[in-house]
Amino acid sequence: MSEAVIALESVSKTYGSGAATTQAVSDVSMSVARGTWVAIMGPSGHGKSTLLQLIGGLDRPSAGRIVLDGAEIGSLDATKLAAVRGRKIGFVFQFFNLMPYLTALENVEIALWLGGAAKRNGRAMELLEHFGLGDKAHHLPGMLSGGQQQRVAIARALANDPDILLMDEPTGNLDSAAEAELLTLLDGLHQAGKTLLMVTHNPAVAARAERVLQVKDGRIVADTRNGTV
Amino acid sequence: MNLGKLVWRNLLRRRGRFIFTLAGVSVGMAAFVALMTIGQGLTGEIRKQAQGLGANLVVTPKGWCAYEQISVLTGEQLPEAIPMSELEKIRAVPGVKSAVPYLNEKTAFRNQPVPVIGIWPQEMRTLQKWTVESGRYFNAPDERAVVIGAAIAKQFQLKPGDEFTVRGKPLPVIGVLREAGTKDDIATFIPLPLAQQIYEVQDKVSFIAVQVTDLEQMEAVSLNIQEVANVAVVSDKQLLASILSIVGTVGAAMQAVAAVGVLAAAFGIVNTLLTAVYERQREIGILQAIGSTRRTLFLAFMLESGLYGLLGGLLGTALGVLGAYLFGPALTDNAFTASLRQSPTPALDEVTILFTLGFSVGLALLAGLYPAYRAAKLSPVEAMRHV
Repeated sequence: MSEAVIALESVSKTYGSGAATTQAVSDVSMSVARGTWVAIMGPSGHGKSTLLQLIGGLDRPSAGRIVLDGAEIGSLDATKLAAVRGRKIGFVFQFFNLMPYLTALENVEIALWLGGAAKRNGRAMELLEHFGLGDKAHHLPGMLSGGQQQRVAIARALANDPDILLMDEPTGNLDSAAEAELLTLLDGLHQAGKTLLMVTHNPAVAARAERVLQVKDGRIVADTRNGTV
Repeated sequence: MNLGKLVWRNLLRRRGRFIFTLAGVSVGMAAFVALMTIGQGLTGEIRKQAQGLGANLVVTPKGWCAYEQISVLTGEQLPEAIPMSELEKIRAVPGVKSAVPYLNEKTAFRNQPVPVIGIWPQEMRTLQKWTVESGRYFNAPDERAVVIGAAIAKQFQLKPGDEFTVRGKPLPVIGVLREAGTKDDIATFIPLPLAQQIYEVQDKVSFIAVQVTDLEQMEAVSLNIQEVANVAVVSDKQLLASILSIVGTVGAAMQAVAAVGVLAAAFGIVNTLLTAVYERQREIGILQAIGSTRRTLFLAFMLESGLYGLLGGLLGTALGVLGAYLFGPALTDNAFTASLRQSPTPALDEVTILFTLGFSVGLALLAGLYPAYRAAKLSPVEAMRHV
């Protein structure tokens, strides 16, 4: 068994206070081995995205510990946490979330800049070319198809060569052809050794992962392996 | 990609809002620069006129108001109020080097008002160090002739040999004075006895300019004059101070109005940036997700704000200087400055420009603080919830 790159120990997240308290994540403990592709499934509003945000350091848990690559992120100050988000983690969202006023190339470059990459020249273009977008580098996101935008988003997420890729319904807004393309691309990343954590509603997409977590009412209710490994 | 590029792209995203916010800053700063420039030009002009007086003390009738005192410097028409007998007493006071009388009157020439100043030709020439540009100066203290200032010669196309009329009396123009840059350029001079005769003022004069032998004794001489003659005495310094304080008050009031405009422009920046922070909430969240620190976000909005200040300051300075040249003469053409006809040249120097730019950028940065703080304190999850 390889080392755990992500480890959660009794993590809870509550929103609001008093009678209006919402328990988004309740006492979740789990770990993910390096290089694993994990799918997180479950009904809407049951804490899947919150879980992803906690792991990605976008939000802090109300209780419990989150350890990324051996480092507890709950105790990090805002600046160090930003550095973790910039270098260790890549985010991919359902709505692509590219900066609409920047070209595809600039969208990747901005991540390089924010992640503090010392040598950026050529890296952004390399990534775009790798994902078959070399000729679209100077297009604004609005001129690209959904599948192309999502590939730019993945290139952006990979800009600083993070170990972990966190994806919130990455195929949710893609047609079946673009979805198939994206899954092939993710297969490649998985084979390259990246740890992938992906929230999805689509069982066919989840079937491509090695491990599927079922989340309900803020808890992990099932943890199954898809046979491989 | 870097901070500057990101900010610049953001700045130009909403062209209309960018232009109108920038216009607000520019107009505010332009008004500020214009008024400051005009004010400085005016002050400089007044100092020059005061030097042109060439006297240490000015003897005036008792009870003159500030406006009349100022007119001594500006060459306006003045009441004839001091009898020549008083002049003799003043000349006799120890410590008085020279005392020369002025009779400030006005005539209409070709339907234009022209100052006519009755003088003692020889004494005045010594005091003012006049140079005759063309023609000649008075030969006798009671010559029936007129010597004119350079600007008057130009305005009416007069040259020696031409005829000038004072209160309907034709007088030959015998000489044109060299341009001095003072009120003397826009006046005409005739010997005092002739002026007193034409204006039927018997032996009265408007005021007397006194030079003292020893500047240290100025105060004592002033007191002595007031003892022997029934007059008031002010020093050139007091005169200058009282004019500058009036002009300064007017200037400060104008600048306060301009400052209100600049302040409104600063609020415009706050408004624009707060709207931008609200509009970009989601993007701010994404930037945080891909590694942006709060500091970077704060700096980005501060830089955006500072750019409004810098661009607005540059545009405003250009507009303001242009405005000062175009409208300065009209704005400063009031009772106090009516005689500075050669229109005060707006004073513009690097200090003014740097001060304006610094002020503009500083104020813009101040305006940016709150929006930048709002942007930096957005939590990434909250920010991304906005679609």
